[in-house]
Amino acid sequence: MSQISEAIGFNLIVISPTVTLVITALILLFFTITIETKMIVKKVITFSGILVTLFCVFLKFGLFSQNGVSSYFTQKILLDEFSLFGNVLIGLILFLNFIPIWGTSYELNEKTSEAIILILMSASGFFLMVDAENLIMLFIGLEIGSISLYALAGLNRIDKLSNEASLKYFLLGSLASCIFIYGVALVYVSYSLMSVYDFALAIAYTGPDLIPLTTFIGVLLIFVGLLFKIAAAPFQSWAPDVYQGSPTGYVGYMASIVKVASFIVIARICMVSVRFILEDFETFFFTVIFLSVLIGSFFASIQTDLKRLIAYSGVVQSGFILSGITSGVNGTSSSMFYLFAYILQLIGIFTIFSIISGKLSSNFEMDNIRGLMKNNRFLAISFCVFMFGLAGIPLTSGFVSKFILLTNLWAYEKYFLVSILLLSTVVGFYFYLRPIWIATIEKVDEPIEMLLIQKSEYLLIGSLASLTILFGLLPNTLINISRWVVQNYL
Amino acid sequence: MIGLTYSFVLIPLVSTIFIFCIPKRRAELFRPLTIFLSLIPLGLCLYIFLNQNLKTSFNVVDKFSWISAYGINLTFGLSGMSFLLITLNCLLVLLSILSLNENHGHSKGFLGSLMLLQASVNGVFLAGDLISLFIFFEALLIPMYFLMGIWGGENRRYATIKFILFTVFGSIFILAGTIYTGVLSYLSSGSFALDFETISSLSFTSSQSKILFLLFTFGFLIKVPIFPLHTWLPDAHVEAPTAGSILLAGVLLKVGAYGILRVSIPFFTEGFIEYQFLIAILSVIGIIYGAIVAIVQIDIKKLIAYSSISHMGFVMLGISAGRFLSLEGAVIQMINHGITSGALFMLVGFIYDRRHTRRISDFGGLKQSMPIYAGVFLFTSFASIGLPGLNGFVGEFMILMGSFPTFQFLSSIAAFGVVLAAIYMLWAYQRMFNGKLIHEENKEIHDLNSKELVAVAPLLLLMLFIGIYPSFIESYVLQDVSVIYESINNILGES
Repeated sequence: MSQISEAIGFNLIVISPTVTLVITALILLFFTITIETKMIVKKVITFSGILVTLFCVFLKFGLFSQNGVSSYFTQKILLDEFSLFGNVLIGLILFLNFIPIWGTSYELNEKTSEAIILILMSASGFFLMVDAENLIMLFIGLEIGSISLYALAGLNRIDKLSNEASLKYFLLGSLASCIFIYGVALVYVSYSLMSVYDFALAIAYTGPDLIPLTTFIGVLLIFVGLLFKIAAAPFQSWAPDVYQGSPTGYVGYMASIVKVASFIVIARICMVSVRFILEDFETFFFTVIFLSVLIGSFFASIQTDLKRLIAYSGVVQSGFILSGITSGVNGTSSSMFYLFAYILQLIGIFTIFSIISGKLSSNFEMDNIRGLMKNNRFLAISFCVFMFGLAGIPLTSGFVSKFILLTNLWAYEKYFLVSILLLSTVVGFYFYLRPIWIATIEKVDEPIEMLLIQKSEYLLIGSLASLTILFGLLPNTLINISRWVVQNYL
Repeated sequence: MIGLTYSFVLIPLVSTIFIFCIPKRRAELFRPLTIFLSLIPLGLCLYIFLNQNLKTSFNVVDKFSWISAYGINLTFGLSGMSFLLITLNCLLVLLSILSLNENHGHSKGFLGSLMLLQASVNGVFLAGDLISLFIFFEALLIPMYFLMGIWGGENRRYATIKFILFTVFGSIFILAGTIYTGVLSYLSSGSFALDFETISSLSFTSSQSKILFLLFTFGFLIKVPIFPLHTWLPDAHVEAPTAGSILLAGVLLKVGAYGILRVSIPFFTEGFIEYQFLIAILSVIGIIYGAIVAIVQIDIKKLIAYSSISHMGFVMLGISAGRFLSLEGAVIQMINHGITSGALFMLVGFIYDRRHTRRISDFGGLKQSMPIYAGVFLFTSFASIGLPGLNGFVGEFMILMGSFPTFQFLSSIAAFGVVLAAIYMLWAYQRMFNGKLIHEENKEIHDLNSKELVAVAPLLLLMLFIGIYPSFIESYVLQDVSVIYESINNILGES
C-alpha cells in the first residue's frame, strides 16, 4: 500500500478508518435501496466494517512508529498521539456499542439501515475530527459527525420526545457550530493560519504580548463551540433533553462519541496551539468548570428521570475532565485516563437502561428500576458497579481517575478547584446512590419481571463492569497509556 | 511471611464469592459454611500469634506496585495494635454470624456483606500506606450501605444516607490530606510515594503539619465519632441490624481512632500539639454529653449507642493527652469497647428477636423469666461501666490517670463520666430486669439458648481475662504506643 501512496502522493492509511466507515455505509446504502437483503447480511457487513476500521487504526500505529508525529494531505490530517488515542477510543466506542445499536435498529424495523448508516457516517466524521490538523478539516469532521447525531436523536418518529430532542439538538448544535466556525474565521483573520501546530509557532513568533485581540476572541469562540459538544455548563442545556428523548439504545453511543472527540480536540488545542497563552484562559475555564460542577450536581440531585440524571452527572464529569485538560501536561494525561474510564461506565449504564426499558423508549423514570435486584441480579449488580464507578468509590476505575486527577491539580496548586471537585463528590454520592437504593434495596410489591438478556449483552455488560473494577485495582497499564499520549510535552 | 497480611483481606473476599456461588435452594448451608469460612482468618490470627513476634511497631510485609508512573505502591504490614484489632474484627464477625437469627442467617446477601465488611476493615488495619488506608476506609461503606439499607429498621433510608454522607464528607478531607502528602512527597523525592516509611522521613514545616493534621483528623474524628460530629451514630445504630450494630460499634468506630493513632499523630505531630487541647475539650464534652443523653433514652439500643459516644470520648481523651500511659489506655480501651459494646448490642439483638421491641418500658422483671440473660447482661454492664476486675476498668483508669498531668481539669470532669455510666447502665438494668413482670408477653419469653450462649460467651471470657490480666494486651500495644509517644516527645523536646 505504501508504494501506491507514494505514487499518488498521499498516504491512505492515515484516513483509512474514515474511508472504511464511509465505504461500509455506502455498501449498506446500496443494499438498502437496490436489492432486498436479509438482516443478517447487513449485520455481517456492518460488523466486518467496524472490525476493518479497528484494523485500520492498528495500521495507523504502524505508520506512527515509522514516521512519528507527522502531517499528511498538505497539513490537513495529523498523526500524533492524541489522534491515535482518539482513534482507539472512537473505534472502541463503535465496537462496544454495536450490540445495543443493532438491537435498537432491529426494533425500529424498516428503518434499520438508515440508523446504521447514520451511525457509521457520524463515526467517520469524528475520526476525521480527531485526525484534523486544519481547523476547517476539524469543522467538517465535527459537522459530519454531529448532523448524523441530530438525525439519530429523532429517529423514533412516533415519539414526541424524540422529535423534540432532535430539533433541540439540531438548533442548539447549529448555533454552536456557527460560533465555532466564527472563531475559526477570527483566528484566520489574525494569522492567516489554519493549522493547530502552526498556530503555536505563530504565537511563539509574535510573542505572547503582541497577540491580536481577534485571536483571543477566536480561540475563545472555538472553545465555546467545543464545550457545547461536551455539555459543560453553561452550554449544557441540550444534554438532558437529548439524552431523555433519544432512543435509549443510541444514547450510549451518542453521549460517549461526542465527548471523546471533543475532549481530544480540546486537549490538543490546549496542549499544542495555545500552550503559550493557556493561562490567559484560566478564568474562563475556571468559570466553566465551577458552573459545570455546581449546576450538574444540583440538577442531578433533583432528577426523577434516570437518563436526565446521567446527563447532568455527565455535566459534572465534563467539569472534572476539563479541569485536568486545562491545567497542564500531567493533568491532561490524567484526564485521558478519566475519559477512558468514564466512557466505559457510560456505555455500560445505557446498555442496561436499553435492556430494561426497551431500546426505543425515551423516558426512563426511576420507577423503571424499582426492585431490579429481585429478578435481575446480574443487571442490578452491574448497574451498581457502574454507578459506584461514576461516584468514584475505591476499587473502581472512577476512584483512580479522580485520585490521579486531583493529585495533579493539587500539584499545580489549584487548591480551590480541588476543594470544589472534592465537595462535588460528596453530592455525587447522594445522587448516584439514590438509584442504587431504588434498584437493589427498596422493598417493592411488584418488582420488574425477569428480563430477556441476550448472550452478547451479558458479555458486553459483564466485560464493561469487570473492566471498571479491573482499572480500579490495576490501573497501571492504562495510566502508562495516558501518559504516553502526552509524552512529547512532558 | 509474604502474603500473610493481605490474606486477611483475600480470604473474606474469596469467601464472599464462594457464598454467592451456592444455589439458593441450599439455604440451610449458608450459615454453617460462613461460620466455617470466618474461622479461617481467626485460625490465621492464631497462627501468627503462635509463630511471630508481634510485639513490634508497624513493619511492612507485603508491597505491590499500584501506579508505577507515580511511584505509588500498595503496602500491607502488621503491628501489635493492628494485630489485636484484626483479631477483634475476625472474632466479632464470627460471633455476630453465630448470633444471627433465622431471618438474616439464611440470606446470602447478608452473610456476604458481613464478609465484605470484614475484608475492608481488616484492610484498614493492615494498610501500610495512605492510599490503601483510604481505599479500604471508603470501601467499607459499600457493605455497610447494603447491610443497613436492606436489613435495617423502619427509618433505615434516612439513617443510611446520613451515615454515608457523614463518612464521605469526612473522607474527602482524608483524601485531600492524602493528595497533599503525596504532592509534598513528590516535591522532596520525585515520586508520589505514600507509604508510612516515606512519609515519616519527610520533614513538614509547622504550617504544613498543622493543615495536614487537621485534614486527616477531621476525617477520622467523624468516624470515631466526636462531639459535635456524632449525630449519625445513634441513627445508624438504631436502624442497623444486630450484626451491623455489633460490627459498627465493635470495629468501625475504632477505624477512626486507629487512623489518628497511625497517621495523624506520628506524622503530623506539630499539628497534634497545636490542637490536642481542642480535641480533649471535645472529647470531654462527648463523654459527659453522651452519658447524660444516654440516661434519658427510652430505647435500649439508642442508650448503648450514646454510651458508645461517651466511651469513645474516653479513647479520644487518652489520645489527645499524648502521655504514654494515656495512649496505652486509649488503645486498650478501644479493644475493650469493641468487646463490651459488641456484647451489649448482641444481647439487645437477642431480646429484640424475642419481643420485637427495644423500649425499656416494655420490659421489667425480666430477671424472673430469663435469669441467665439477666446475669449476662449485668456482667456486660459492669464491664461497660468499668468495674474493677473487668476490662472496662483497665482502659478508663489508665486514660484518666495518664491524662491527668496534661489536662488536670478536663480529666477530673471526665471522671464523672464513669459515675454517669453507672447511672445509665444500672438504671436501665433495674428498669428492664428488676421489679415485677408487668407485661404478659414477658412471662412466656424463653431464656438464652445454647447457641446464643456460645455466641456471647467468648466476649464474656475476654472481659474477665483482660480485666484480670491486662498486661497481656498491653505487651502488644507497647511498641506502637512508644513510637507515637516518641514522636510527640521529640517535638516537645525541641520546642
